[in-house]
Amino acid sequence: MPDSLLTLTGVTKRFGALTALNAVSLDIAPGEIHCLLGENGAGKSTLCNVIFGIHPPDEGVMSLNGVPYRPAGPADALRLGIAMVHQHFSLVPDLTVVDNLLLGQARGILDRRACAVRVEELSAEYGLALAPFARIQDLSVGERQRVEIVKCLMRNPRLLVLDEPTAVLLPPEIAALIDVCRRVAARGCGVMLVTHKLAEIKSAATRATVLRGGKTVAVSSNPAEEIGVLVRAMIQRELGPLGHAAEAALGLSDPTPAEARAAERPHDIVAQIDGLSFLDSQGVKRLDNVTIEIGRGEIVGIAGVEGNGQSELSAILSGMLRPTGGLFSVQNTDLTGRGPHDVTAAGVGIVPEDRHAVGCVTAMSVAENMFLGRLRAFSRFGLLRRAAFHRAAADLMQRFDVRASGPGAAFSSLSGGNQQKAVLARELTLSNLAFLVAAQPTRGLDVGAVEAVYGHIREACRRGVGVLLISSELDELLAVADRIVVFYRGRIVGSCPASPAYRERIGVMMSGQPA
Amino acid sequence: MISAESAAVFIGSSIRLATPLLMGGIGELVSERAGVLNMSVEGMMLTGAFAGAVGSWATGQPILGLAFGLLAVLPVALLQAWLSNTLRANQIVSGIGINILVLGATTLGYREIFGERSSDEIPGFGKWAPPFLGDIPVFGQAVFLQVWIVYLGLAIAIGTALVLRFTAIGLAVHAAGMEPRAVDKSGLSVRGIRYGAVTFTGLMSALGGTFLSIGDIHTFTEGMTRGAGYLAIAAVIFGNWRIGRTIGACLLFGAATALQFQLPAMGVDIPNALLIMLPYLLAFLAVAGLVGRQSAPASLTVPW
Repeated sequence: MPDSLLTLTGVTKRFGALTALNAVSLDIAPGEIHCLLGENGAGKSTLCNVIFGIHPPDEGVMSLNGVPYRPAGPADALRLGIAMVHQHFSLVPDLTVVDNLLLGQARGILDRRACAVRVEELSAEYGLALAPFARIQDLSVGERQRVEIVKCLMRNPRLLVLDEPTAVLLPPEIAALIDVCRRVAARGCGVMLVTHKLAEIKSAATRATVLRGGKTVAVSSNPAEEIGVLVRAMIQRELGPLGHAAEAALGLSDPTPAEARAAERPHDIVAQIDGLSFLDSQGVKRLDNVTIEIGRGEIVGIAGVEGNGQSELSAILSGMLRPTGGLFSVQNTDLTGRGPHDVTAAGVGIVPEDRHAVGCVTAMSVAENMFLGRLRAFSRFGLLRRAAFHRAAADLMQRFDVRASGPGAAFSSLSGGNQQKAVLARELTLSNLAFLVAAQPTRGLDVGAVEAVYGHIREACRRGVGVLLISSELDELLAVADRIVVFYRGRIVGSCPASPAYRERIGVMMSGQPA
Repeated sequence: MISAESAAVFIGSSIRLATPLLMGGIGELVSERAGVLNMSVEGMMLTGAFAGAVGSWATGQPILGLAFGLLAVLPVALLQAWLSNTLRANQIVSGIGINILVLGATTLGYREIFGERSSDEIPGFGKWAPPFLGDIPVFGQAVFLQVWIVYLGLAIAIGTALVLRFTAIGLAVHAAGMEPRAVDKSGLSVRGIRYGAVTFTGLMSALGGTFLSIGDIHTFTEGMTRGAGYLAIAAVIFGNWRIGRTIGACLLFGAATALQFQLPAMGVDIPNALLIMLPYLLAFLAVAGLVGRQSAPASLTVPW
């Protein structure tokens, strides 16, 4: 094994009572692609931030090329040759690629031409196609990520850290990214690739480290052959009982063929979305003539790279946004342009994309969040009957396996998975539920919670509820939905049965080409 | 019909009346582009006007008055920068607070210092016309004979436009207002940039203020800025946060103010009160978003 580039020994990081990293040891060699694996909340991002100097470690030591490394901030990390592509991009949208690259690098008068030449050199060297004078706001997510990577490469880093870089990419873009990683590593630079998808490890990693609950639980120097061991270490259970949705969430298995599920296509239409269009305040068409019919007991998945109209669609269906054209009706009740109250009354359950902003009131208790819309049922002479209210909440919490210290616990004290289960519990127990809109319902959840969320959604389906499932995780859609509709720039590009056989075709459609 | 003479006078007085707005507006533009809505332009201008007048009166030298005005605004600007960056206070509330504080402080100072001598003229700057331009018949004297601060203001406006467009500082200022995270990740200090931008607003506003007191009319009166700072902010919005359009908006407001004096002189019978309203009405329309599409910096008023 080559000499170590970066070594971490016993690194511990605490945030208040939470120990995010517990005596983590790790080393990265020059020229290797080191995968860091773990579920959400395992401490991957914290570890990256410690390496990049954003958080100082509470205990433990780091050394870079054998010299003690104690960064006081990102500036130190950058100076010593550590560059990082963050999960959330930080590019200035109305500036060009070149201007974004020059930010913080140039002094005095800007030499845009020289920078453009350098971009073209790097593009050719690493296979990162980029137009130097394109504005960031006109670029796709994949192109923006390339800008971030070029930004790092311009500093000639010794270590490149990529935090969950594939979460936002189209399937062909993922392959291209892994190719870039290989080329970077081939030049002797260490690459740390953070992910929770195992397929990527198979194709790229030279070594892998698994984190769980802030601890290193497995290290493998032959990850492609030891996937099973790594997965067990990551989620701490045998693979057998894992459901399809969970496996798909890990990118591990090809989901079940949907033919079996779609065998009897229901003819009974529950919800009708007819020619829905939406122009935003800037006059940009966010939704363009979208027509979808959702049948009783059917799960229709909306696939597409984020930002292609999915958020607008779910906001319109929840009654939070007024469409500029088209109709939306549920069980023959016209709900076009009606507010959330009317939508809920018509039997539409909503699991919103941003549960903290619109799905719940985090400062209130679990019970209050579950029944905020149904307080009248627990009131007598205008006074709230707390005991009955808490009993009902405790019952729901048990049915949906919402783990909290009790119905009176603050909603904000729950983990993301339990918060989502509580929101689902509320929406799925609407007395006249006919149609459920679930937008990114598994975002930020760990594998166990993903399985539970989809279990509840499937259960509702069996009762005849129609479901519109919006997700940027194609594998999850393939595992759960009956039919997939692909969005691109607010339009429907095409649709097909949710079967792994169509994966390639869906990938093509996600990039806007009809297949 | 409008005679060439009155047109020349109108243009000249439009430029003169636009000058304080232009300086405050350029300063405010830089601050807003960096992400700080600096509501205290009014107070900063008043500080400059008062300190400039005191300095000039005490030393007999208008240039020392100008220097004193620029110096006196620094604590006000740093207070605004500290409140809106370090303390993350609400930028609108803190800015208005500063305006009220400065109005009180300058009124008190004025009564204490000038009390019985309020009719004395304060030494001020003379007028100057650039060679050749001043010799143009009819227009030369009426348009180009101005206090030299007017030309300084125009030069700074052009210089600021060039810096914003072609230098690393301009890039950093723009990024600090659009996507401060990008600035931080690239190793620059968002707070440093914003402190600098607010200080620049202070200096520019003070320059506009001193022009009012010792450039234009050679005296100081209580609350003499009379909303010029707010008009400067409106000009930035009217200009859609672009420097060329902001300069245009300042000239438009200046022209609207000049009409107050011009129309009655030409014998047009419009109630004066309506004319006084005109620049503020234009500003109101701009702020209400009725003029064109607005694209404010994404992180405006969001502390870092």
